[in-house]
Amino acid sequence: MRRHIVRASALAALVTLITGCGVTVYEPGVYKGEKDPLLSMHAKPEHKAQLQERFTKGQAER
Amino acid sequence: MARMKFLCDSERCIECNGCVTACKNEHEVPWGVNRRRVVTLEDGVPGERSISVACMHCTDAPCAAVCPVDCFYTTDDGIVLHDKDLCIGCGYCFYACPFGAPQYPQQEAFGVRGKMDKCTFCAGGPEGKDNSDEERQKYGKNRIAEGKLPLCAEMCATKALLAGDGDMVADIYRERVTKRSTRPQSWGWLTAYQEDV
Amino acid sequence: MKLVKKQTQEPGKSAAATGGGLLGRTVDRRTFLRGTGLAAGGAAVATTLSMRMMQRADAATGEAASGDVVTKRSVCTHCSVGCGVIAEVQNGVWTGQEPDFDSPFNMGAHCAKGAAVREHGHGDKRLKYPMKLVGGKWQRVSWDDALDEIGDKLLAIREQHSPDSVYWLGSAKFSNEQSYLFRKFAAMWGTNNLDHQARICHSTTVAGVANTWGYGAMTNSYNDMHLSKTMFFIGSNAAEAHPVAMQHVMRSKESGGKLIVADPRFTRTAAHADQFMRLRSGTDVPLIWGMLWHIFQNGWEDKEYIAQRVFGMEDIRAEVAKWTPEVVQDVTGVPPEQVKLAAQTMAENKPGTIVWCMGGTQHTVGNNNTRAYCVLQLALGNVGMAGGGANIFRGHDNVQGATDFGVLADSLPGYYGLAAGAWKHWCNVWDLDYEWVKSRFDQASYEEGKEQLPAMELRGITVSRWIDGVLEPAENMAQKAPIKAMFMWGHAPNSQTRGFEMKKAMGLLDLLVIVDPYPTHSAVMNDRTDGVFLLPAATQFETYGSVTASNRSIQWREKIMEPLFESLPDHVIMYKFAKKLGFAEQLTKHIQVNGEEPLIEDIVREYNRGMWTIGYTGQSPERLKLHLENKHTFNTTTLKAEGGPCDGEYYGLPWPCWGTPEMKHPGSPNLYDTSKTVAEGGMPFRANFGVEYQGKTLLSEGSWSKGSEIEDGYPEFTADMLKQLGWWGDLTPEEQKAAEGKNWKTDLSGGIQRVAIKHGCAPYGNGKARCIVWNFPDPVPLHREPLYTSRHDLVEKYPTYEDRKRFWRLPTRYMSIQAKDYSKDYPLIHTSGRLVEYEGGGEETRSNKWLAELQQDMFAEINPADANNLGVKDGQWIWLEGPEGGKIKVKAMVTRRVAKGVVFTPYHFGGWFDGQDLKDKYPEDTAPWVRGEPANNAFTYGYDSVTAMQETKASLCKITPA
Repeated sequence: MRRHIVRASALAALVTLITGCGVTVYEPGVYKGEKDPLLSMHAKPEHKAQLQERFTKGQAER
Repeated sequence: MARMKFLCDSERCIECNGCVTACKNEHEVPWGVNRRRVVTLEDGVPGERSISVACMHCTDAPCAAVCPVDCFYTTDDGIVLHDKDLCIGCGYCFYACPFGAPQYPQQEAFGVRGKMDKCTFCAGGPEGKDNSDEERQKYGKNRIAEGKLPLCAEMCATKALLAGDGDMVADIYRERVTKRSTRPQSWGWLTAYQEDV
Repeated sequence: MKLVKKQTQEPGKSAAATGGGLLGRTVDRRTFLRGTGLAAGGAAVATTLSMRMMQRADAATGEAASGDVVTKRSVCTHCSVGCGVIAEVQNGVWTGQEPDFDSPFNMGAHCAKGAAVREHGHGDKRLKYPMKLVGGKWQRVSWDDALDEIGDKLLAIREQHSPDSVYWLGSAKFSNEQSYLFRKFAAMWGTNNLDHQARICHSTTVAGVANTWGYGAMTNSYNDMHLSKTMFFIGSNAAEAHPVAMQHVMRSKESGGKLIVADPRFTRTAAHADQFMRLRSGTDVPLIWGMLWHIFQNGWEDKEYIAQRVFGMEDIRAEVAKWTPEVVQDVTGVPPEQVKLAAQTMAENKPGTIVWCMGGTQHTVGNNNTRAYCVLQLALGNVGMAGGGANIFRGHDNVQGATDFGVLADSLPGYYGLAAGAWKHWCNVWDLDYEWVKSRFDQASYEEGKEQLPAMELRGITVSRWIDGVLEPAENMAQKAPIKAMFMWGHAPNSQTRGFEMKKAMGLLDLLVIVDPYPTHSAVMNDRTDGVFLLPAATQFETYGSVTASNRSIQWREKIMEPLFESLPDHVIMYKFAKKLGFAEQLTKHIQVNGEEPLIEDIVREYNRGMWTIGYTGQSPERLKLHLENKHTFNTTTLKAEGGPCDGEYYGLPWPCWGTPEMKHPGSPNLYDTSKTVAEGGMPFRANFGVEYQGKTLLSEGSWSKGSEIEDGYPEFTADMLKQLGWWGDLTPEEQKAAEGKNWKTDLSGGIQRVAIKHGCAPYGNGKARCIVWNFPDPVPLHREPLYTSRHDLVEKYPTYEDRKRFWRLPTRYMSIQAKDYSKDYPLIHTSGRLVEYEGGGEETRSNKWLAELQQDMFAEINPADANNLGVKDGQWIWLEGPEGGKIKVKAMVTRRVAKGVVFTPYHFGGWFDGQDLKDKYPEDTAPWVRGEPANNAFTYGYDSVTAMQETKASLCKITPA
């Protein structure tokens, strides 16, 4: 029983540590900057299609 | 949807530097910063070959992997961009990049490193509004947001440099290679066939 | 960032064994020019340009950036490919440049220069306002003051000496309308002393080719090369001089076309060739005759074609028989197997085209070279068909137009020449009294050659010799007095040879006037303290008008922005001068003038009324603008519009576009093509040389245009001929009135042309191309050694010409120079050429920071063997000296691109003289970013035997470490 409590409280402490209490944990490899409005516009298929059309217009042999 | 890619067809590249000045023009790139440059092998002798190089927008970008402040991000089709506000100018991305794409504007004669600058695939950077003055001043023009493709490729003199949907780029190149089959210009021909060209 | 793989070492030799350091090691041009920005030019730049941020053009930030974007369409100002340029303009500022995908010529593509033209809108180094040199210092003056002072001086010189003492050097960068106006201007002033870059570029081409088959222009087009099965480039480095043309070459290659390159250097074009032949500078004729030797030997010539359409091939056979493989190898250095392979490739892969540029033209025998190239193509039957022809790549953007409009010392517009008949034709067009025009000239007559001609009919001094027009005593010249005033109007000085003598000549002038967007090397290369004016001209982006590409297509340019600072378009400056000099009324008699700007469209309509010889009559402003609006409808191989508003027409209505605009001729895409009717843009060879020579007919036999009602050769059309044929009645009454007693060139109604074409005939006749030009010094093209040759042993067998007492008004030396052997003291062959980043004299492009960064040093290419022998390392300063004492201090670039014994220099540099950087002599803020020694300071005397073209591709030099 005692082990359970210790384990549970350790787990609770860990979870609290990670999620709450205002502590920042460094996440390596994750972009830290401002959101680029281009990303959402560019993810749309219409935008991709527009670029494909542009490619054909300009870079394919005419 | 294929990744965005550059391809420079070295059979067609004539080292005209059109891609280099197109980039300078479009983004007002300062003297000393070379987002794109042409590399020539075997200059002046038979076998001379040129290829235009800028950021390759790697799928698993080493620059992003080593950046201590994680200022890099990628679009869903592989354009690698970065945030100059976060950049600390440490130069690690330059160490990591196999192509020498990261450039650092010189502020003084003794080469004090400024913020990293590199080819953006003409997709600007993470500034509030696309093609705002701020974005243009920091990163150059954002052609992708306007539905256009990188100017270097759009202005290549011989259409050696291609930029766009990787599948479409590959299609063009494959067609050329097929048409060229009557002559040995692919890499390794001389080695494989011991022939004098 | 140096990502360049160095030349690999010889196996078995370590760096130590090769002597370490840079001795003998070759390097590419990029690494050589340490482009880190800390080089000489770069350090200065680093402090003046803001580094931290990207910056848009200053005026574009803030409110301007929010303005609406207006799109303007123009044409690049650099070379004759004629790439379309799209400009985005906001609030009058050029803020963006987009690719012109619709243009059939470039389809969006640009080279380094074209991709950087927006910098013209920055104008960092532009000449901002008129300036005058006073006591060695530049002072700003107003346009009015400058014009007054210059005008007064010119009128005084005219009075004291003669109109011929003012030299009006014009520009290949003029638009067509400006070129035409300039020629008319010189006529109103009363002199034939005018010229432009064509003289030193393709003058030998125009003379040689026109005298072979009728017109001296590119026969097909860059696009047409898609259909070529062989492309033979001799003396042309298109990869650097016409990069976008290489797009068309590549397409041909990918369809199986073979590329053969002959050049003394292994150029960037040679790097893409299937076969490369390295020949000794100045031995083009032997190489071509060597190829023809194999062709005749194996019966590869097109016998039927020769019988029907070619005159004089037997005389060529006799000369070619002397050029056996061994002789060819001795003279040119090219081994027999290579010559045979090239000949066989061309014979077995037709249609084939030949391309040549300065490598072939800039010789004392330039006219022999160009004719030999034509003869080769005639022998193979390659002329007059798609994929074939003589595809001459012209230089500047409008050198073709400027040549066509007669900015030349020996012709009025349209190659009419200078005889009384030509003057009367143009006076007719100009609606001016012939006697009045005649009175403007020096009334005396002068002797030249075997003739005595009045000044008005005597060809003037060429740009290549203008300095001798100053230096030579009056009694030696075919004009009253030497040149006292020199106009360098859109023309650099460092593209002409003998720079040290030029400095002296500039010192002797009473007046030097430079009209240019930039001060140019002219402003600084002399030691004058007074009497120099700089007048700021606007670039072609700041005005509008038409421009003719190398393939004879005419493109319309829109105005992108207002002239920067106080600059003015050239035609406005011409008008202002005409006002001051007293002939503005005559100059613009039928041309509307708005303020001080002659209306461009009216100028077009005026030359449409007069340019019958080469068919600039059908291209009205309306038709040209329609083509601009519908570029995308033109097929990129045939240049023909398929559907759309221009259906059936060829892009840019390539001349000859016969008849009046109402006739709607579609333009002529490929010259001499008999498979098309004349009405569809075909034609036979021109019957330009008479109907008979030495008893043999000069008219074609058994060959005529499709649809021709005369199924035989025929002479050029005259009113009388129409009557004899019974076609006179086809003319309208108005046409008959105008055409009576005239011919196809002088009938201002265009009726003779219209009726001839209606009956399927070409107005200019149906003749044979001739291989022998009996009115030239060498009727059969011969080999003659350059004046300064490394093979003096060959001079006895292949000597140059006799000296001439008067040639283009000046004494001209040949034999007396070649007699001495300079090759011991000056053992290296010196040749010159182009770089892709720069153009012409270079001040404009070296003032563009995006281009200047890429080429920061003047250099000379030296082979590793020569470098080692001289103790010269890569990157080291050296003195390069020519046999006439001209010397330049440049950096050595050690490379195998040049053969042992050959040195190459690019000719685009200026702003230095005799080892000194002249930066401080420029007006404030106008010194180009990059400056260097002008190659032509070390080049030497030597002028083509027909056109006085300079010999800049074959001279000698010696090199010493500096």
